[in-house]
Amino acid sequence: MTSLADRLRGVIQLGPPKGGPHEDDDRHERGDRGGRLQAAYDSADEALGGDWFEGDGGRFLIIDRSYSPGHRHGWMSVADGLPPSAGVWPRLSLLADGAGGSNLLFVDLETTGLAGGAGTYAFLVGCGWFEGGRFKVRQFFLASYLAERALLQALVGVARHAGAVVTYNGKSFDLPLVETRYTLHRMETPFAGMPHIDMLHPARRLWRGGDGAALGAVVGSRREVAATSCRLSVLEQVLCGHVREGDVAGFEIPARYFHFVRTGDARPIEAVLEHNRLDLLSLALVTARAAQLLDEGAPGTRTAREALGLGRLYERGGLFTDAWRCLNRAIELDDDDMTTRGEALRAHAVLARRMRRFEDAASSWRRLLDLPGCSRTLAREASEALAVHLEHRLRDYQSARGYAVQTLHGDLTPMRKEATLHRLARLDRKIDSLPIASLF
Amino acid sequence: MLPAGPSSREPMDAGALVAGPAKDQALSGVLDRLTGGVTERPDRPDAWVTAVRRLPALDARHAPFVDGIDERVREVLRQRGIDQLYTHQAAAISHSLAGRHVVITTPTASGKTLCYNAPVLSTVLRDPSTRALYLFPTKALAQDQLAELHELSDQLSRRNDLQIGVFTYDGDTPQDARRAIRGRAHVVLSNADMLHSGILPHHPRWAKLFENLRFIVIDELHAYRGVFGSHLTNVLRRLRRICQHYGSTPTFICSSATIANPRELAEALVEQPFELVSESGAPRGEKFFLFVNPPVVNEQLGIRRSYLAETRRVAAEFVKRKLQTIVFAQSRLATEILTTYLKDDFGSPPGSTEEIRGYRGGYLPQRRREIERGLREGTVRAVVSTNALELGIDIGALDACVMAGYPGSIAATWQRAGRAGRRSGRSAAVLVASSAPLDQFVVRTPSYFFDASPEHALVNPDNLHILVDHVKCAAFELPFTTSEQYALRLGLSEGLAQGASAPAVDVQEVLGILQEGGFVHRAAGEDGEGVWQWTNESYPADAVSLRSISSDNFVVVDTTNGADVIGETSFTSGPPTLHEKAIYLLEGGLYQVERLDFDGRKAYVRQIDCDYYTDAITYTKVTVLETFETGNQPAADQSRPGLPGPASHGEVHVSSRVVGFKKIKFYTNENVGSGELDLPEQEMHTTAYWLTVPRDVIAALPYAADDRRDGVVGLSYAMRQVAQLLLMCDRQDIGISIGSGEHGEQTDLTRSGDPAMLSDEPRIFVYDNYPGGIGFSAPLFAMDRELRDRTRELIAGCECQHGCPGCVGPIGNTGPLAKTAALRILELIGARQIESADTRVASL
Repeated sequence: MTSLADRLRGVIQLGPPKGGPHEDDDRHERGDRGGRLQAAYDSADEALGGDWFEGDGGRFLIIDRSYSPGHRHGWMSVADGLPPSAGVWPRLSLLADGAGGSNLLFVDLETTGLAGGAGTYAFLVGCGWFEGGRFKVRQFFLASYLAERALLQALVGVARHAGAVVTYNGKSFDLPLVETRYTLHRMETPFAGMPHIDMLHPARRLWRGGDGAALGAVVGSRREVAATSCRLSVLEQVLCGHVREGDVAGFEIPARYFHFVRTGDARPIEAVLEHNRLDLLSLALVTARAAQLLDEGAPGTRTAREALGLGRLYERGGLFTDAWRCLNRAIELDDDDMTTRGEALRAHAVLARRMRRFEDAASSWRRLLDLPGCSRTLAREASEALAVHLEHRLRDYQSARGYAVQTLHGDLTPMRKEATLHRLARLDRKIDSLPIASLF
Repeated sequence: MLPAGPSSREPMDAGALVAGPAKDQALSGVLDRLTGGVTERPDRPDAWVTAVRRLPALDARHAPFVDGIDERVREVLRQRGIDQLYTHQAAAISHSLAGRHVVITTPTASGKTLCYNAPVLSTVLRDPSTRALYLFPTKALAQDQLAELHELSDQLSRRNDLQIGVFTYDGDTPQDARRAIRGRAHVVLSNADMLHSGILPHHPRWAKLFENLRFIVIDELHAYRGVFGSHLTNVLRRLRRICQHYGSTPTFICSSATIANPRELAEALVEQPFELVSESGAPRGEKFFLFVNPPVVNEQLGIRRSYLAETRRVAAEFVKRKLQTIVFAQSRLATEILTTYLKDDFGSPPGSTEEIRGYRGGYLPQRRREIERGLREGTVRAVVSTNALELGIDIGALDACVMAGYPGSIAATWQRAGRAGRRSGRSAAVLVASSAPLDQFVVRTPSYFFDASPEHALVNPDNLHILVDHVKCAAFELPFTTSEQYALRLGLSEGLAQGASAPAVDVQEVLGILQEGGFVHRAAGEDGEGVWQWTNESYPADAVSLRSISSDNFVVVDTTNGADVIGETSFTSGPPTLHEKAIYLLEGGLYQVERLDFDGRKAYVRQIDCDYYTDAITYTKVTVLETFETGNQPAADQSRPGLPGPASHGEVHVSSRVVGFKKIKFYTNENVGSGELDLPEQEMHTTAYWLTVPRDVIAALPYAADDRRDGVVGLSYAMRQVAQLLLMCDRQDIGISIGSGEHGEQTDLTRSGDPAMLSDEPRIFVYDNYPGGIGFSAPLFAMDRELRDRTRELIAGCECQHGCPGCVGPIGNTGPLAKTAALRILELIGARQIESADTRVASL
């Protein structure tokens, strides 16, 4: 008869306990628990620096760093990321209501996985902020799960001073996870109701290449860097020129933490802390770059993509004049990127219509139709818009008819096709009823 | 062969159904046709109609509104014409309002939904922070209940300035609606699978629900038996931990079809004491229940007339007399065939509304709603359905129910029969037996169905495989403390405690082993009390399906057009059902397996048209690892104290290999070919019941060696059928094997047809076909006597000459003496026990 333990091992599909890969854990398990914990703490102290705090029978570590204004991050320095004299970026409100004019708190988590749910927790909460010309980082490292509540309490102290929180993909990941942790401990999350800028979305607008290209021009040198994704580490290279060396891969991070939990060996964690600090620094500088663009407007943009993205951000915030300038610049900038050009012309035409500048709109639609390789969808939209414009505003039925026929040649849904045929019929009636003279 | 039913169309006035006294008369007309006018008579196992039973009408028993029901709820009920309650409703509602868990078993259409809606809505009205969670076994049922709850809550909301939020939350709920539901729902209608994989692992998002959870409603409780029920217990254990964390202690309100042990089942699933409400106060009209057995057409092979044709004939009798009829078929294919038959017989002229409809899963929801409405309004005269209409979907009450084939359990049969029968007036239910052994047993032994108590639903929540999976999920959801317990087994009554084959497992020990696997880590606090912290990246609920025991499964890929995954099968039943050339049945469609990728766990199939299915020949070796109990009769059988029985139960090792297959013709069960196979061996530890045929019994058999072997093989074949019946399980839930000796090599004789010799003390094993066992063996051991008695009845009662699929297996499997020898073995075992009892009495 097999023992329960062996049957359980069979169910979990583990080998026998001796000599297996888990021998280490087993030895620790049998060892003096208090002594082992102390050893873990000592080891972490040594490897990571920082100060211990206790709570609920567990401990967490706070690690502080302060980066001087001259600290280089690629070709940028901390000073490049500092807000103007007033200390705030008012126009950041375009990215999140109420975020302008506030102290920003940059937040980035390292978690035990990406699965979500109550069993995924943050073992490292990184916070960063500008203060007195310096960039300060405070990291909360959870050495024992028992201390999670105390850690979250300590985090409240930092969050209290912030007016807005900035993350990268925090809308769908970091902040919901933080909220989950607070709820689980029956606590109020300090970020509730706080303005939140998730830089992923504006970064996509501003810097993701049309076809995954065109990012490189941002740096003002050659356009050799092409990016298909908008990951923070990619932006960091493109915008700051910072290349990480010996950085720990994201997928490896949970395993390093679990190793620490099981063995008390904190050495592999140091790289994770550094990774987190670099993420915070990059996030701060990328945010600053976006804030500068929002302040400077069209003249500050360096590529058509950037101008287009900025124009859209302005338009969304109702700043039509600023948007107008940006979209004009996006069209004017010499650029081989036809996708961006097409999108810019369309955005320009739509904005012009919104601003009741119908002739400008028509002109952009025409340029769009002339664009080599213009997509079918865009061409359809352009010819339709031109048909409407010519029929209802200019009453040039013949030309309108021409565009309507052109629309008909594109790929149409049955409903659109019907609408277009309807328009053609109406145009034909209008043309028929015109006095003969007007036809010549 | 076509039945002697109506062969030409018999057009009728559109939508005409009889009513009132004319209806009762019409029904009497059918009964006269079927029974020859004799409705009071003894059972006749060999007749066409083997049994006729009259269930007398019952008057309603009323009770006034229970005090705790809010005045506003009463007002809405009064508007619907409900001025008082039935007695069972009043009892159930008082229990749940007083915070006592309650399980209600009352027949179909007795107003059970009021039993939970009244207390829930009353409590919500008084305290709008109240939350309730309803669990249904299917999404369709949740939708059906949603409609009813919406109506009630809308009426209440309108007059009370309080929006009562009622929402379904399941796999179909759009992502963007989920957040709103979490915040606004007072009542969440969901299912166990969603609770397991979508709600519990994300409990912080549901904090508001768990903080204020006052009621949990579990509808159709009897659906949670076997593997599914064992999983549910664990899901509820996890739920209990989470409720504790948020400080709520919900009251459970459960409803169940009539099973033998509703309270025990509820207590096993929830692990808390329950009140039982089983006396229905709802009125019932007079009802007739008939068993029909199609006549034998080939006595040699024991082949009967097609039960589908017979069903058509019987149903036609009702339909042509303008009685609204529901026909239940066992498969989607049979449903379609019967629908076609009945449309041929009674189809409406083209262009008019269809009065004969089919109904099954796979029809679009809109179409289903239309049919349901047609049934309620009387525009649909007859519907042919799979079990899709068995559960609580509201279709009103019909005049007649005809079942093509035994639904597999007493509970399901009553539930289907309950579809016919209004609160007043006459109704009828007819069961038409197929040639399957279970069907034959039931129609030939009507007292089993009518007089005996219905089946026990069994669960084994401490099956290690299931337990470990859920301990992982629980550890993910909330870290266990180092002193926490997990399984409570509160209020478990005797019957089910026996069902649990192993002692309760200490969760701390499980966590210790999970730590070895790196899933958790014991984080100790300074005072020694600590927590088991989850140290894994996975989301464990994703790897656990409540409908099977192991996540390792075979998927079935249809290559007829491209490559679509059309189904999946558990690891254990993969090889016997998905070997090359196997016929795979899905929703009545036939597919042939072209290739089995054993390592990749994939079977590639192609749709074909054939008239046979395949049955794998499996070589199974069972080795006894530990005997838990042997011989003694269970406590329930005190009338025969201390008889040394021939049965045992315990833990076994099963290794099986599929070595070949047979082709079996549909309906007649003829063997029409075979093939050889070579597949890898599968092994598992599980639990088993076994019957040892004593040496002297074998020696006393006056037959040749081959015939003795046939006797044991035939006996095991029949025992399997009866065990399935007694355990209320599916065919694939149990396996059977014949062997000998505690540890030695054993030869399986059941299928191989190999002329291997029978050992001088053979054993018939009935094992749980799931790793770890699912709790069938101990109850089967407890029912040993009944198992043997029923098996004898099945074999002796069968009118075939030398064996047929209905008793000891089709002829060809076994020789001409199988029946005789099997019966003789049972007799000798029985006599031996009486003898030894006598000896004992004499020696006192």
